[in-house]
Amino acid sequence: MKNEAQLFKSLADETRLRILWLLMVKEELCVCDIMGVLRITQSKASRHLRYLYHLGWVTDRREGVWMNYRLSITPGSPEDKQLKLLADILHSQPEAQALRNRLEQWLAAKGQSQDAAACQCS
Amino acid sequence: MRAEARFFKSLADETWLKILWLLSGTEELCVCDVIDVLGITQSKASRHLRYLYHLGWVMDRRDGLWMNYRLTVTPGSPREKLLKLLTEMLAPQPEAQALRGQLARCLEAKRNTECAKRLKSSQKRSLQELLET
Repeated sequence: MKNEAQLFKSLADETRLRILWLLMVKEELCVCDIMGVLRITQSKASRHLRYLYHLGWVTDRREGVWMNYRLSITPGSPEDKQLKLLADILHSQPEAQALRNRLEQWLAAKGQSQDAAACQCS
Repeated sequence: MRAEARFFKSLADETWLKILWLLSGTEELCVCDVIDVLGITQSKASRHLRYLYHLGWVMDRRDGLWMNYRLTVTPGSPREKLLKLLTEMLAPQPEAQALRGQLARCLEAKRNTECAKRLKSSQKRSLQELLET
């Protein structure tokens, strides 16, 4: 049962919950998006993303100096069910809604400066 | 989201998972059942059960020297959904099935002996096993 405990442990941290929530909103996010929306340092964002990566929650794609992440969940898997439950719980929460809005604003601002190099967020 | 993180954290430990798994298969368990089935010390069992108690997963009932615990899960609550998910994940696992089997044997033995006596003999047994190896 160690594996199951570990699976639940990946949801036992506030920052990781927020990252997963953001990835449920937007298919793929750059580390810099996560830093900007959650207002955390690059090292913290990358550390949590690597953690999620090693547990199989996300896959990565390199783009220049930045790493991009997206969810890699098999439909019907325990992870998929956990994530659905999480979305269910968070859906009605003001904090989660605020995060979603902040992400949209962030991405809109990023889209306007599209001509600059993709990720000049820092 | 701190509350949600804490919520998931209550399943982030193997022993907690096992205790919840055992409780989901029976109405009420004595601390001594948990000690016996999981082969852990009384202090560890009590500590974990108190943790689950403070998080609102279980409620307690004193019976003489021993504390009994049962799940307190409101139907339709996130907690209930999480528990359902957990039992769904564990049910096909041999390790989980073995625990259920052990619990059934333990409860059967309990019908004949009191908790304290049974516990003493089970501890003696595990001590013997330890000495033999």
